Amino acid sequence: MRVLAVDDARGLALCAAPDGARSSVEVALVGPVAAGDALLVHAGTALTRLEPAGA
Amino acid sequence: MKFVDEFRDPGLGRVLAGQILAEVEPGRRYKVMEVCGGHTHSIYKYGVDDLLPANVELVHGPGCPVCVIPMGRVDDGIAIAHEPGVIFTCFGDMMRVPGSRGSLLEAKAAGADVRMVYSPLDALRIAKANPDRQVVFYAIGFETTAPSTALTLMRAKAEAVPNFSVMCNHVTIVPPLRALLESPDLRLDGFIGPGHVCTVVGARPLRFIPAQYERPVVIAGFEPLDILQAIHMILRQLAEGRCEVENQYTRVVPPDGNRRALEVMAQVFELRPHFEWRGLGFISQSGLKLSAAYADLDAELRFGVPGVRVADPKACQCGEVLKGVIKPWECKVFGTACTPERPIGTCMVSSEGACAAYYNFGRFAREREVV
Repeated sequence: MRVLAVDDARGLALCAAPDGARSSVEVALVGPVAAGDALLVHAGTALTRLEPAGA
Repeated sequence: MKFVDEFRDPGLGRVLAGQILAEVEPGRRYKVMEVCGGHTHSIYKYGVDDLLPANVELVHGPGCPVCVIPMGRVDDGIAIAHEPGVIFTCFGDMMRVPGSRGSLLEAKAAGADVRMVYSPLDALRIAKANPDRQVVFYAIGFETTAPSTALTLMRAKAEAVPNFSVMCNHVTIVPPLRALLESPDLRLDGFIGPGHVCTVVGARPLRFIPAQYERPVVIAGFEPLDILQAIHMILRQLAEGRCEVENQYTRVVPPDGNRRALEVMAQVFELRPHFEWRGLGFISQSGLKLSAAYADLDAELRFGVPGVRVADPKACQCGEVLKGVIKPWECKVFGTACTPERPIGTCMVSSEGACAAYYNFGRFAREREVV
Protein backbone atom coordinates (compact mmCIF):
# COMPACT_ATOMS: atom_id res chain seq x y z
CA MET A 1 0.00 0.00 0.00
CA ARG A 2 1.09 3.56 -0.59
CA VAL A 3 1.21 6.06 2.30
CA LEU A 4 -0.99 9.12 1.73
CA ALA A 5 -0.74 10.84 5.10
CA VAL A 6 0.80 10.13 8.49
CA ASP A 7 -0.73 10.69 11.93
CA ASP A 8 2.38 10.52 14.13
CA ALA A 9 0.49 11.17 17.36
CA ARG A 10 -1.64 8.05 16.92
CA GLY A 11 0.99 5.88 15.18
CA LEU A 12 -1.25 5.46 12.16
CA ALA A 13 -0.95 6.21 8.46
CA LEU A 14 -3.69 6.62 5.89
CA CYS A 15 -2.73 4.28 3.05
CA ALA A 16 -4.17 3.42 -0.35
CA ALA A 17 -4.19 -0.04 -1.89
CA PRO A 18 -3.42 -0.39 -5.63
CA ASP A 19 -7.17 -0.49 -6.32
CA GLY A 20 -7.59 2.85 -4.53
CA ALA A 21 -9.18 1.48 -1.35
CA ARG A 22 -8.02 3.49 1.65
CA SER A 23 -7.50 2.35 5.22
CA SER A 24 -5.73 3.27 8.44
CA VAL A 25 -2.56 1.30 8.96
CA GLU A 26 -0.49 0.72 12.11
CA VAL A 27 3.07 1.86 11.34
CA ALA A 28 4.69 1.22 14.72
CA LEU A 29 6.68 -1.75 13.38
CA VAL A 30 8.34 -0.02 10.43
CA GLY A 31 9.65 3.19 11.95
CA PRO A 32 9.05 6.65 10.57
CA VAL A 33 7.13 6.68 7.30
CA ALA A 34 6.39 9.50 4.91
CA ALA A 35 3.79 10.12 2.24
CA GLY A 36 4.71 8.19 -0.88
CA ASP A 37 6.36 5.24 0.92
CA ALA A 38 5.33 1.74 -0.20
CA LEU A 39 4.50 -0.63 2.67
CA LEU A 40 3.72 -4.31 2.90
CA VAL A 41 0.54 -4.31 5.01
CA HIS A 42 -0.99 -7.36 6.61
CA ALA A 43 -4.22 -7.23 8.63
CA GLY A 44 -3.97 -3.46 9.03
CA THR A 45 -0.34 -3.43 10.15
CA ALA A 46 2.69 -2.47 8.07
CA LEU A 47 5.27 -5.25 8.41
CA THR A 48 7.97 -3.90 6.16
CA ARG A 49 8.82 -1.05 3.87
CA LEU A 50 9.38 -1.92 0.22
CA GLU A 51 12.60 -0.32 -0.91
CA PRO A 52 12.68 0.25 -4.67
CA ALA A 53 16.40 -0.59 -4.66
CA GLY A 54 15.67 -4.04 -3.30
CA ALA A 55 12.93 -4.88 -5.79
CA MET B 1 2.11 -2.08 -10.94
CA LYS B 2 5.47 -1.75 -9.19
CA PHE B 3 6.63 -4.85 -7.25
CA VAL B 4 3.99 -6.99 -8.97
CA ASP B 5 4.00 -6.84 -12.77
CA GLU B 6 7.70 -7.56 -13.10
CA PHE B 7 7.20 -10.78 -11.13
CA ARG B 8 4.47 -12.04 -13.47
CA ASP B 9 6.39 -11.79 -16.75
CA PRO B 10 5.48 -14.87 -18.86
CA GLY B 11 8.74 -14.75 -20.84
CA LEU B 12 10.87 -14.82 -17.69
CA GLY B 13 8.61 -17.57 -16.37
CA ARG B 14 9.44 -19.73 -19.38
CA VAL B 15 13.16 -19.03 -18.90
CA LEU B 16 12.92 -20.13 -15.25
CA ALA B 17 10.94 -23.23 -16.26
CA GLY B 18 13.79 -24.09 -18.63
CA GLN B 19 16.35 -23.62 -15.88
CA ILE B 20 14.32 -25.87 -13.56
CA LEU B 21 14.17 -28.53 -16.27
CA ALA B 22 17.95 -28.31 -16.68
CA GLU B 23 18.47 -28.77 -12.95
CA VAL B 24 16.42 -31.95 -12.42
CA GLU B 25 18.07 -35.33 -12.44
CA PRO B 26 16.19 -37.64 -14.83
CA GLY B 27 14.58 -40.54 -13.02
CA ARG B 28 14.65 -38.81 -9.64
CA ARG B 29 11.35 -37.72 -8.08
CA TYR B 30 11.27 -34.45 -6.16
CA LYS B 31 8.67 -33.52 -3.57
CA VAL B 32 8.74 -29.86 -2.56
CA MET B 33 6.34 -28.52 0.07
CA GLU B 34 5.06 -24.99 -0.12
CA VAL B 35 4.35 -24.29 3.53
CA CYS B 36 2.16 -21.25 3.09
CA GLY B 37 -1.40 -21.18 1.80
CA GLY B 38 -0.61 -17.97 -0.09
CA HIS B 39 1.85 -19.94 -2.19
CA THR B 40 -0.73 -22.67 -2.82
CA HIS B 41 -3.15 -20.03 -4.05
CA SER B 42 -0.58 -18.49 -6.43
CA ILE B 43 0.54 -21.87 -7.73
CA TYR B 44 -2.98 -22.76 -8.85
CA LYS B 45 -4.00 -19.27 -9.88
CA TYR B 46 -1.05 -18.83 -12.22
CA GLY B 47 -0.64 -22.48 -13.21
CA VAL B 48 2.90 -22.66 -11.81
CA ASP B 49 2.68 -26.44 -11.47
CA ASP B 50 1.96 -26.75 -15.21
CA LEU B 51 5.42 -25.29 -15.89
CA LEU B 52 7.23 -27.90 -13.82
CA PRO B 53 8.73 -31.16 -15.07
CA ALA B 54 6.59 -34.23 -14.31
CA ASN B 55 9.03 -35.48 -11.68
CA VAL B 56 8.81 -32.28 -9.60
CA GLU B 57 5.75 -32.46 -7.35
CA LEU B 58 4.49 -29.61 -5.20
CA VAL B 59 3.00 -30.71 -1.89
CA HIS B 60 0.72 -28.33 -0.05
CA GLY B 61 1.55 -27.55 3.56
CA PRO B 62 -0.26 -26.53 6.74
CA GLY B 63 0.21 -22.76 6.42
CA CYS B 64 -3.37 -21.65 5.87
CA PRO B 65 -4.47 -19.97 9.12
CA VAL B 66 -8.18 -20.56 8.63
CA CYS B 67 -7.71 -24.21 7.65
CA VAL B 68 -6.03 -25.23 10.89
CA ILE B 69 -8.74 -23.93 13.27
CA PRO B 70 -10.44 -26.96 14.86
CA MET B 71 -14.21 -27.29 15.13
CA GLY B 72 -14.19 -26.89 18.91
CA ARG B 73 -12.63 -23.41 18.63
CA VAL B 74 -15.29 -22.39 16.07
CA ASP B 75 -17.98 -23.63 18.47
CA ASP B 76 -16.37 -21.63 21.29
CA GLY B 77 -16.43 -18.50 19.13
CA ILE B 78 -20.08 -19.05 18.24
CA ALA B 79 -20.93 -19.49 21.93
CA ILE B 80 -19.43 -16.05 22.66
CA ALA B 81 -21.17 -14.55 19.61
CA HIS B 82 -24.52 -15.66 21.06
CA GLU B 83 -23.86 -13.97 24.43
CA PRO B 84 -26.32 -11.08 24.94
CA GLY B 85 -25.00 -7.71 23.82
CA VAL B 86 -21.89 -9.07 22.08
CA ILE B 87 -20.62 -7.80 18.73
CA PHE B 88 -18.41 -10.60 17.43
CA THR B 89 -15.82 -9.63 14.82
CA CYS B 90 -13.59 -11.77 12.63
CA PHE B 91 -11.91 -11.91 9.22
CA GLY B 92 -14.25 -12.68 6.32
CA ASP B 93 -13.10 -16.20 5.48
CA MET B 94 -13.39 -17.25 9.15
CA MET B 95 -17.12 -16.59 9.01
CA ARG B 96 -17.79 -19.60 6.79
CA VAL B 97 -15.66 -22.15 8.67
CA PRO B 98 -17.96 -24.92 9.84
CA GLY B 99 -18.12 -25.81 13.51
CA SER B 100 -20.06 -28.79 14.79
CA ARG B 101 -23.33 -26.81 14.72
CA GLY B 102 -22.83 -24.45 11.83
CA SER B 103 -20.60 -21.48 11.09
CA LEU B 104 -20.36 -17.92 12.37
CA LEU B 105 -22.24 -16.85 9.25
CA GLU B 106 -25.08 -19.17 10.22
CA ALA B 107 -24.92 -17.80 13.78
CA LYS B 108 -25.33 -14.33 12.26
CA ALA B 109 -28.36 -15.55 10.30
CA ALA B 110 -29.77 -16.88 13.58
CA GLY B 111 -29.53 -13.44 15.17
CA ALA B 112 -25.99 -13.10 16.56
CA ASP B 113 -24.26 -9.81 15.74
CA VAL B 114 -21.26 -11.15 13.79
CA ARG B 115 -19.34 -8.62 11.72
CA MET B 116 -16.52 -9.00 9.22
CA VAL B 117 -13.44 -6.84 9.73
CA TYR B 118 -10.26 -6.37 7.73
CA SER B 119 -8.05 -5.84 10.77
CA PRO B 120 -8.14 -6.01 14.58
CA LEU B 121 -7.91 -2.21 14.48
CA ASP B 122 -11.32 -2.17 12.76
CA ALA B 123 -12.69 -4.28 15.62
CA LEU B 124 -11.29 -1.82 18.18
CA ARG B 125 -12.91 1.02 16.26
CA ILE B 126 -16.27 -0.79 16.48
CA ALA B 127 -15.74 -1.17 20.24
CA LYS B 128 -15.11 2.56 20.65
CA ALA B 129 -18.21 3.37 18.60
CA ASN B 130 -20.37 1.00 20.68
CA PRO B 131 -19.37 1.60 24.32
CA ASP B 132 -22.52 -0.11 25.63
CA ARG B 133 -21.73 -3.40 23.81
CA GLN B 134 -18.99 -5.98 24.35
CA VAL B 135 -16.88 -6.31 21.18
CA VAL B 136 -14.84 -9.48 20.68
CA PHE B 137 -12.21 -10.00 17.97
CA TYR B 138 -11.64 -13.62 16.93
CA ALA B 139 -7.90 -13.58 16.23
CA ILE B 140 -6.42 -16.14 13.86
CA GLY B 141 -3.21 -16.40 11.91
CA PHE B 142 0.47 -17.21 12.06
CA GLU B 143 3.29 -14.83 13.00
CA THR B 144 2.27 -12.60 10.09
CA THR B 145 -1.01 -11.61 11.73
CA ALA B 146 -0.13 -11.94 15.41
CA PRO B 147 1.79 -8.60 15.58
CA SER B 148 -1.32 -6.82 14.30
CA THR B 149 -3.44 -8.32 17.10
CA ALA B 150 -0.69 -7.50 19.61
CA LEU B 151 -0.55 -3.84 18.55
CA THR B 152 -4.34 -3.53 18.77
CA LEU B 153 -4.34 -5.04 22.26
CA MET B 154 -1.62 -2.59 23.32
CA ARG B 155 -3.68 0.24 21.87
CA ALA B 156 -6.85 -1.01 23.64
CA LYS B 157 -4.97 -1.08 26.95
CA ALA B 158 -3.36 2.34 26.43
CA GLU B 159 -6.68 3.90 25.47
CA ALA B 160 -8.52 1.97 28.23
CA VAL B 161 -11.27 0.55 26.02
CA PRO B 162 -13.17 -1.56 28.56
CA ASN B 163 -15.58 -3.29 26.16
CA PHE B 164 -12.96 -4.82 23.82
CA SER B 165 -11.49 -8.31 24.10
CA VAL B 166 -9.76 -10.89 21.92
CA MET B 167 -10.30 -14.63 21.55
CA CYS B 168 -6.79 -15.68 20.61
CA ASN B 169 -6.24 -18.51 18.11
CA HIS B 170 -2.83 -17.43 16.85
CA VAL B 171 -0.44 -20.22 16.00
CA THR B 172 3.25 -20.52 15.17
CA ILE B 173 4.70 -22.15 12.09
CA VAL B 174 7.69 -24.10 13.41
CA PRO B 175 5.92 -26.75 15.57
CA PRO B 176 3.68 -28.09 12.76
CA LEU B 177 6.67 -28.19 10.39
CA ARG B 178 8.61 -30.20 12.92
CA ALA B 179 5.60 -32.51 13.32
CA LEU B 180 5.47 -32.98 9.54
CA LEU B 181 9.19 -33.73 9.35
CA GLU B 182 8.77 -36.33 12.09
CA SER B 183 5.84 -37.90 10.24
CA PRO B 184 6.74 -41.26 8.70
CA ASP B 185 4.16 -41.08 5.90
CA LEU B 186 5.65 -38.09 4.10
CA ARG B 187 9.04 -37.83 2.40
CA LEU B 188 9.88 -34.29 1.35
CA ASP B 189 12.96 -33.07 -0.52
CA GLY B 190 12.70 -29.36 0.30
CA PHE B 191 10.54 -26.49 1.46
CA ILE B 192 9.36 -23.24 -0.08
CA GLY B 193 9.50 -21.08 3.07
CA PRO B 194 6.62 -18.81 4.12
CA GLY B 195 7.63 -15.35 2.91
CA HIS B 196 5.39 -13.19 5.04
CA VAL B 197 5.87 -15.18 8.25
CA CYS B 198 9.62 -14.71 7.72
CA THR B 199 9.07 -10.96 7.30
CA VAL B 200 8.31 -11.09 11.02
CA VAL B 201 10.44 -13.97 12.35
CA GLY B 202 13.35 -13.82 9.88
CA ALA B 203 15.18 -16.85 8.52
CA ARG B 204 16.66 -18.17 11.76
CA PRO B 205 13.62 -20.16 13.05
CA LEU B 206 13.70 -22.29 9.88
CA ARG B 207 17.36 -23.26 10.22
CA PHE B 208 16.45 -26.42 12.14
CA ILE B 209 15.13 -27.89 8.88
CA PRO B 210 18.54 -28.11 7.15
CA ALA B 211 20.42 -28.55 10.44
CA GLN B 212 18.37 -31.40 11.89
CA TYR B 213 16.46 -32.84 8.93
CA GLU B 214 18.88 -32.06 6.08
CA ARG B 215 16.31 -30.47 3.81
CA PRO B 216 16.83 -27.21 1.89
CA VAL B 217 14.52 -24.24 2.53
CA VAL B 218 14.06 -21.25 0.24
CA ILE B 219 11.99 -18.37 1.63
CA ALA B 220 9.89 -17.14 -1.28
CA GLY B 221 7.61 -14.35 -2.40
CA PHE B 222 4.11 -14.92 -3.71
CA GLU B 223 4.25 -13.96 -7.38
CA PRO B 224 4.66 -16.74 -9.95
CA LEU B 225 8.27 -15.85 -10.76
CA ASP B 226 9.12 -15.84 -7.04
CA ILE B 227 7.83 -19.39 -6.69
CA LEU B 228 9.54 -20.65 -9.86
CA GLN B 229 12.83 -19.10 -8.78
CA ALA B 230 12.49 -20.63 -5.30
CA ILE B 231 11.92 -24.08 -6.81
CA HIS B 232 14.99 -23.59 -8.99
CA MET B 233 17.05 -22.59 -5.92
CA ILE B 234 15.87 -25.69 -4.01
CA LEU B 235 16.74 -27.98 -6.93
CA ARG B 236 20.14 -26.29 -7.26
CA GLN B 237 20.84 -26.93 -3.57
CA LEU B 238 19.89 -30.57 -4.02
CA ALA B 239 22.03 -30.89 -7.17
CA GLU B 240 25.04 -29.35 -5.43
CA GLY B 241 24.51 -31.38 -2.27
CA ARG B 242 23.93 -28.21 -0.25
CA CYS B 243 21.33 -27.82 2.43
CA GLU B 244 20.60 -24.40 3.91
CA VAL B 245 18.00 -21.66 4.34
CA GLU B 246 18.13 -19.25 1.40
CA ASN B 247 16.07 -16.10 0.90
CA GLN B 248 14.55 -15.53 -2.52
CA TYR B 249 12.24 -12.80 -1.16
CA THR B 250 14.96 -10.29 -0.27
CA ARG B 251 12.84 -7.32 -1.38
CA VAL B 252 10.58 -7.95 1.61
CA VAL B 253 12.20 -10.36 4.09
CA PRO B 254 15.08 -8.99 6.18
CA PRO B 255 17.43 -11.73 7.48
CA ASP B 256 16.50 -11.06 11.10
CA GLY B 257 12.81 -10.40 10.53
CA ASN B 258 11.08 -7.51 12.24
CA ARG B 259 12.52 -7.12 15.73
CA ARG B 260 9.86 -4.70 16.89
CA ALA B 261 7.11 -7.11 15.82
CA LEU B 262 8.75 -9.89 17.82
CA GLU B 263 9.01 -7.59 20.84
CA VAL B 264 5.33 -6.64 20.82
CA MET B 265 4.36 -10.29 20.38
CA ALA B 266 6.54 -11.23 23.37
CA GLN B 267 4.85 -8.55 25.47
CA VAL B 268 1.30 -9.50 24.62
CA PHE B 269 1.35 -13.26 24.06
CA GLU B 270 2.68 -16.37 25.68
CA LEU B 271 2.83 -19.94 24.41
CA ARG B 272 0.04 -22.32 25.28
CA PRO B 273 1.29 -25.70 26.52
CA HIS B 274 -0.52 -27.28 23.58
CA PHE B 275 -3.04 -26.26 20.92
CA GLU B 276 -5.28 -28.36 18.73
CA TRP B 277 -4.87 -28.08 14.94
CA ARG B 278 -7.58 -29.27 12.61
CA GLY B 279 -6.51 -32.57 11.16
CA LEU B 280 -3.13 -32.52 12.88
CA GLY B 281 -4.28 -32.99 16.48
CA PHE B 282 -2.63 -31.42 19.52
CA ILE B 283 0.82 -29.93 18.95
CA SER B 284 2.74 -28.74 21.97
CA GLN B 285 3.80 -25.10 22.26
CA SER B 286 2.24 -24.27 18.89
CA GLY B 287 -0.46 -21.79 19.93
CA LEU B 288 -0.46 -18.36 21.55
CA LYS B 289 -2.66 -16.94 24.29
CA LEU B 290 -2.74 -13.54 25.93
CA SER B 291 -0.06 -13.04 28.57
CA ALA B 292 -0.94 -12.38 32.21
CA ALA B 293 -0.51 -8.63 31.65
CA TYR B 294 -3.28 -8.73 29.04
CA ALA B 295 -5.54 -11.31 30.74
CA ASP B 296 -8.19 -8.63 31.32
CA LEU B 297 -8.59 -8.40 27.52
CA ASP B 298 -8.85 -12.16 27.04
CA ALA B 299 -12.36 -13.03 25.76
CA GLU B 300 -11.99 -16.63 26.89
CA LEU B 301 -11.61 -15.43 30.49
CA ARG B 302 -14.17 -12.65 30.19
CA PHE B 303 -16.94 -14.89 28.86
CA GLY B 304 -15.91 -18.42 29.65
CA VAL B 305 -16.08 -20.78 26.69
CA PRO B 306 -17.33 -24.38 26.53
CA GLY B 307 -13.87 -25.56 25.39
CA VAL B 308 -15.27 -28.86 24.18
CA ARG B 309 -13.11 -30.86 21.82
CA VAL B 310 -15.02 -31.81 18.67
CA ALA B 311 -13.79 -34.49 16.31
CA ASP B 312 -13.44 -33.56 12.63
CA PRO B 313 -16.23 -34.88 10.38
CA LYS B 314 -15.46 -38.43 9.24
CA ALA B 315 -15.93 -37.67 5.55
CA CYS B 316 -13.50 -34.76 5.67
CA GLN B 317 -9.82 -35.41 4.94
CA CYS B 318 -8.50 -31.91 5.66
CA GLY B 319 -5.89 -33.42 7.96
CA GLU B 320 -4.32 -35.44 5.15
CA VAL B 321 -4.52 -32.43 2.82
CA LEU B 322 -2.86 -30.16 5.42
CA LYS B 323 -0.08 -32.69 5.89
CA GLY B 324 0.36 -33.03 2.13
CA VAL B 325 -0.37 -36.76 2.29
CA ILE B 326 -3.19 -36.52 -0.25
CA LYS B 327 -4.01 -34.00 -2.98
CA PRO B 328 -7.28 -32.04 -2.65
CA TRP B 329 -8.99 -34.03 -5.39
CA GLU B 330 -8.18 -37.31 -3.65
CA CYS B 331 -10.49 -36.42 -0.76
CA LYS B 332 -13.75 -38.39 -0.97
CA VAL B 333 -15.98 -35.32 -0.72
CA PHE B 334 -13.90 -32.86 -2.81
CA GLY B 335 -16.04 -30.93 -5.27
CA THR B 336 -19.14 -33.02 -4.56
CA ALA B 337 -20.39 -32.72 -0.97
CA CYS B 338 -17.66 -30.18 -0.16
CA THR B 339 -17.51 -27.03 -2.29
CA PRO B 340 -16.59 -23.39 -1.53
CA GLU B 341 -20.32 -22.62 -1.41
CA ARG B 342 -21.04 -25.38 1.13
CA PRO B 343 -17.73 -26.40 2.68
CA ILE B 344 -17.41 -29.40 4.98
CA GLY B 345 -13.73 -28.90 5.67
CA THR B 346 -11.72 -25.75 6.30
CA CYS B 347 -9.40 -26.26 3.31
CA MET B 348 -12.38 -25.53 1.06
CA VAL B 349 -13.26 -22.30 2.90
CA SER B 350 -10.30 -19.97 2.77
CA SER B 351 -8.88 -18.74 -0.51
CA GLU B 352 -5.53 -19.93 0.90
CA GLY B 353 -6.87 -23.44 1.48
CA ALA B 354 -5.48 -26.03 -0.90
CA CYS B 355 -8.93 -27.41 -1.74
CA ALA B 356 -10.47 -23.99 -2.49
CA ALA B 357 -7.43 -22.97 -4.55
CA TYR B 358 -7.60 -26.20 -6.51
CA TYR B 359 -11.39 -26.05 -6.89
CA ASN B 360 -11.29 -22.47 -8.16
CA PHE B 361 -8.31 -22.66 -10.50
CA GLY B 362 -7.03 -26.18 -11.08
CA ARG B 363 -9.91 -28.59 -11.42
CA PHE B 364 -10.69 -27.76 -15.03
CA ALA B 365 -7.15 -28.60 -16.09
CA ARG B 366 -7.48 -31.92 -14.33
CA GLU B 367 -10.84 -32.61 -15.94
CA ARG B 368 -9.16 -32.14 -19.33
CA GLU B 369 -6.46 -34.62 -18.32
CA VAL B 370 -9.01 -37.19 -17.16
CA VAL B 371 -10.99 -36.89 -20.40
